[in-house]
Amino acid sequence: MLAQRVAQQSLRRLAATPSRNAALLKFSLTPTAILTSPQFRQVATQKMTPTDSYQILVEQRKKRPTSPHLTIYEPQIPWILSALNRITGSVLSGAFYIFGSAYLVAPLLGWNLSSVSMAAAFGSWPVIAKVATKLLLAFPFTFHSFNGLRHLAWDMGKAFKNQTVIKSGWAVVGLSTVSALALALFV
Amino acid sequence: MASIVRPTLLRQSCLKVATKKAFSTKPSPTFPAINKPLSSVVSKDAVRSRFMKEAVPSSMRVAAFHATGRRPILPPLPQSVNGTANEPAPVPDPSPTHGSYHWTFERLVSAGLVPLTIAPFAAGSLNPMTDAVLCGAILIHSHIGFEAVLIDYIPDKRLPKTRKAFMWALKLATVVVGVGLYEFETNDVGLTEAIKRVWKA
Repeated sequence: MLAQRVAQQSLRRLAATPSRNAALLKFSLTPTAILTSPQFRQVATQKMTPTDSYQILVEQRKKRPTSPHLTIYEPQIPWILSALNRITGSVLSGAFYIFGSAYLVAPLLGWNLSSVSMAAAFGSWPVIAKVATKLLLAFPFTFHSFNGLRHLAWDMGKAFKNQTVIKSGWAVVGLSTVSALALALFV
Repeated sequence: MASIVRPTLLRQSCLKVATKKAFSTKPSPTFPAINKPLSSVVSKDAVRSRFMKEAVPSSMRVAAFHATGRRPILPPLPQSVNGTANEPAPVPDPSPTHGSYHWTFERLVSAGLVPLTIAPFAAGSLNPMTDAVLCGAILIHSHIGFEAVLIDYIPDKRLPKTRKAFMWALKLATVVVGVGLYEFETNDVGLTEAIKRVWKA
């Protein structure tokens, strides 16, 4: 075992490049160094203040990859409907907030936002504008309502399987589109 | 014998190739040493020719390590490190008021909205009291939803003042809308009836 080690060490000495470091060569040829066998690693170290190393860390962090944009993801029904849920909710709540605050400030600005005048104003619009406005409000309403049921089911820990999520997603798309059209055209 | 020699020789050739620069802790102008592809450290002449390596810009060599293209939304802001590099992320105080109670309350409001939404369609209209309850529930639901939007899109760490301003603006808006709806509910026909009349106009 010892003989093998000695052979290994001397092989290493032989393979080492003599021109690299004169001091190393001298040291490795000294007989006392053979059995103590120091390991040499030619790593350059630098003395560095904490602020210097901090600066290096900052430089490296600047080169970390940033989050890619949504467009790199394959369009899939779960995440698209999730985004749509927030968008439709914001549209509905935005309309709700705008109406509520407008009704409060209406007397100050001389607007008449009573239900009678609003109904009269809306009734005087052309049919296409009426249907378009109704669709623009009805679809967010139906979608957010049906998708909300889906979310409540998930919150109870149900219908979580991937295939179920995809199927229920398409069901919500179909139901909300049909019911929105019905509300806009026939009600 | 060969089994002894082989790792030794490998080690020697590795040492030969490992120049000062490769193990340096200083970032090179093109890319920091830590992210250098392994090939530049080990197999300088063995795997790729010198010409190949120089012909490919370093950004492309790095890009090859990523599965997807780099399409940053915005360039990263000046980065900073709080504490040391290995500090753990701070864990917020567990508070049921901000956690499970809040979550349960949200779900109760959402679930409560289900019958309140069906009722006007089933009954044709709502009595003033139920209508007021529906308005209140929608207001709370909207407030929570807007709050979630602000929390998601205005990062507190980067824009603490903007976040605070928007949160207060939302609180103010919710109060204004609440008062406005109270006025509407008490002076007019109620939300569901008003929507019905406008819809059928």
